[in-house]
Amino acid sequence: MRLRSHLLLLSIATAAPVVILAVVIAFLVVRQERDTLRDAAVDRVVAVMSAIDAELGGSLATLRALAASAQLENGDLAAFHAEAQRILRAHPDWLDYTLARPDGTRLSSSAAAPGTEKFSAVDRESFDRAVASGEAVIGSLALGPAGKEWAVPIRMPVMHNGAVKYVLTAGLRPDAFGDLLRAQRLPEGWVVAIADRNKKIIGRVPPVPPGQEASESWRGALERSPQGWFRGRTIEGRKSYTPYATSSLSGWALGIAMPIEAVDAAAWRSLWLVLLMLLLASAIAVGLALLLGWRIARPIAALAHAADAAGRGERVEFPARTPIDEIDSLAAALGRAALAMREKQELAEREKAALQAADRAKDEFLAMLSHELRNPLAALTAAAHVLKLADPAEQAAIKARAVVERQTKHMARLVGDLLDISRVAMGKVALERERFDLAQAAGNLVNVWRASGRLGRHAVSLEMKPAWVDADRARIEQILSNLLDNAVKFTPAGRRITVGAGQEGEWAVLRVADEGEGLAPGSAERMFELFVQGARGLDRAAGGLGVGLALVKRLTEMHGGTVSAGSAGPGAGTTFTVRLPAVLPRAAQAAAPEAPPRVEPRRVLIVEDNDDARQMLHEALAFSGHEVREARDGASGLALAAEARPDVALIDIGLPDLDGYEVARRLRASPGGRRMGLIAITGYGQAEDQRRAYEAGFDAHLTKPVAPERLKQVMAGLR
Amino acid sequence: MTERKNERLLVVDDDADMRLTLKLALELAGYSVDVAANGREAVELQRRQPADVLITDIFMPDADGFEAIDAFRHEFPQTKIVVVSGGAQFTKRDYLPDAELIGVDATLQKPFDVDTLLGLLQRL
Repeated sequence: MRLRSHLLLLSIATAAPVVILAVVIAFLVVRQERDTLRDAAVDRVVAVMSAIDAELGGSLATLRALAASAQLENGDLAAFHAEAQRILRAHPDWLDYTLARPDGTRLSSSAAAPGTEKFSAVDRESFDRAVASGEAVIGSLALGPAGKEWAVPIRMPVMHNGAVKYVLTAGLRPDAFGDLLRAQRLPEGWVVAIADRNKKIIGRVPPVPPGQEASESWRGALERSPQGWFRGRTIEGRKSYTPYATSSLSGWALGIAMPIEAVDAAAWRSLWLVLLMLLLASAIAVGLALLLGWRIARPIAALAHAADAAGRGERVEFPARTPIDEIDSLAAALGRAALAMREKQELAEREKAALQAADRAKDEFLAMLSHELRNPLAALTAAAHVLKLADPAEQAAIKARAVVERQTKHMARLVGDLLDISRVAMGKVALERERFDLAQAAGNLVNVWRASGRLGRHAVSLEMKPAWVDADRARIEQILSNLLDNAVKFTPAGRRITVGAGQEGEWAVLRVADEGEGLAPGSAERMFELFVQGARGLDRAAGGLGVGLALVKRLTEMHGGTVSAGSAGPGAGTTFTVRLPAVLPRAAQAAAPEAPPRVEPRRVLIVEDNDDARQMLHEALAFSGHEVREARDGASGLALAAEARPDVALIDIGLPDLDGYEVARRLRASPGGRRMGLIAITGYGQAEDQRRAYEAGFDAHLTKPVAPERLKQVMAGLR
Repeated sequence: MTERKNERLLVVDDDADMRLTLKLALELAGYSVDVAANGREAVELQRRQPADVLITDIFMPDADGFEAIDAFRHEFPQTKIVVVSGGAQFTKRDYLPDAELIGVDATLQKPFDVDTLLGLLQRL
């Protein structure tokens, strides 16, 4: 059901009791009006009745005076007759008079000569009543003795010695009362009438012939009660309300008939007025309900429309100012909800875009990985082909072997970087901090690179000043290696690369500046992101995996430092700057340069199940002048050690029977094993693996593939 | 295997080790081989001493492999072209089909067996 209908019902429900009350009041008012009218009519009836009683009283007084005349006392009936005739002439409403004995014998009359006639029984009942009571009696309408004119007899008994001697009667003309009624000047349509004890009309306005019976309804009412109020029809048959009363003096009844229309019209007028007002009020209420409904429903409908639009993701304005506060707050709430939804949606879209970007970066990374791994493999495959066909002493074979050495190193570093970056990303790299001079460490590393010929195509200069750091030496070397690698890659042959170190305020700073092609503006920040490369995409010389710089950044940050790249623009070269927290120098002895590894020939045992790896180690060690024995598993390794008493044992951790840790423990426990140098060789270079190796009794730990230089260093480090 | 010792090959690759090993391997097979580090060098070399077959990488600095191929097809239409690349098949950057589309004579994905290249050169 619509809101408008609800409001309509509400207004109707509110109005209904009012309407009912109003109707009740209207009916009460109608009744009240009727009662007022009736009371007024009753008062009037009483008043008219009083006037009639006064008229009758006057006639009675005159009659009593006549009855007390001396002539009657003396029995002089002739004189009495004369006196009576005189009074009759003075009272025109008197029709006649009669003097009779109690037995009805007429002694004197205006109509006949006295003394002889027998009284004819005109209204005998009132005559007898007067004789019986000795009181004055007002009779009923009757035709006079002549039988021609109607009259109402008034009878006065004349007492003599306590007994009724005569009865004096005056006949009153009904017209006298008719005049009285006419003097009332009742409104048109009203009826006023007097009826005698026999319910015969004495007088009436409008007139009817005297002696006619009163209307049937009045007669019925008079039977029930001498006075009151009835609803009935007049003689003419008009519907009317009639108040009436009966005189105690005469026993006559007087009624005033009011036409029903006249009585009800006023009441109905009031009722209609009330109903009309009710109708008007209802119409106004309904109109207001509809208007209010519209005013409430319109903003709600607008709100619903806006909410729908918001649901479809459109940007909508919610109606801000409406006539209804609750709707305002609802609109505000919906607005907030829509905003939150849109923000969530936008966030989801941003996340989706980020995911897609990451996905794309991953695809590109895989393409790059494929490319970067396939290239060295292609060179290695071709080199293997040459080595297979060429005489080992030929130049071709020598060159091919050099290619194999370079490309395997390149691949090993590539794989190492990849593994490192994933371990750094997963938080699995633990720093093994020590206090050392950054300048010295950087200088050493550059010298190693020079010695290996990797800096041969460039002019490299050093600008070193002491700068102490508390850091993981291996990681710092890794950072510098990656920066050098990058510089070599991006700098054309013959140009200069400058490596510098020094303290600047609270930072120990490491710088690698090249004279390469520089950076495109805006790429300086992005280039430290994983898998991001220079603008040249897949170009090999400029390429790489985009791993090296990301690794530099993460390792630097692990040390609490920062790395940045700067360039004066394309073609102007690039400078990478690593800043690490500076610390105070360690006691002076560390400043002495490390002695170059010296090789002393030793007896060396190799325990390694992989033939190629074992072969490689054997050749590298034999080349350095060591005496080498080898075993393929732990058991034969232990047996050989017992027999050959080596100075140093290189033990692979992943052996087929015993693991390398167990072999080390048993060797340490064997005679002379305490002084033996033990070197672990594993495919895992993590701190946890190193810890286990040292716990098992190893002196050193090498990660595969083992670089001959590193092997030399470690061998030299063993006493 | 009938060797065509009179044929000249031109190997173009930005990776020095790759050029070197390919040159050594192909010379062992009896070809005479020139090398160039990029497309521009290759075109200059070809003008001085025309080769019968161009063996080129695709992704290189300076002059991209595609440019070199374009230049050769216009200037030296009779020279056969073999494209080698590390481009991978499982990514969108799948350049080898592109090379086929531009009408080279053969493509090889790195790493490749030298014998495969030799067989391919025989057929050209």
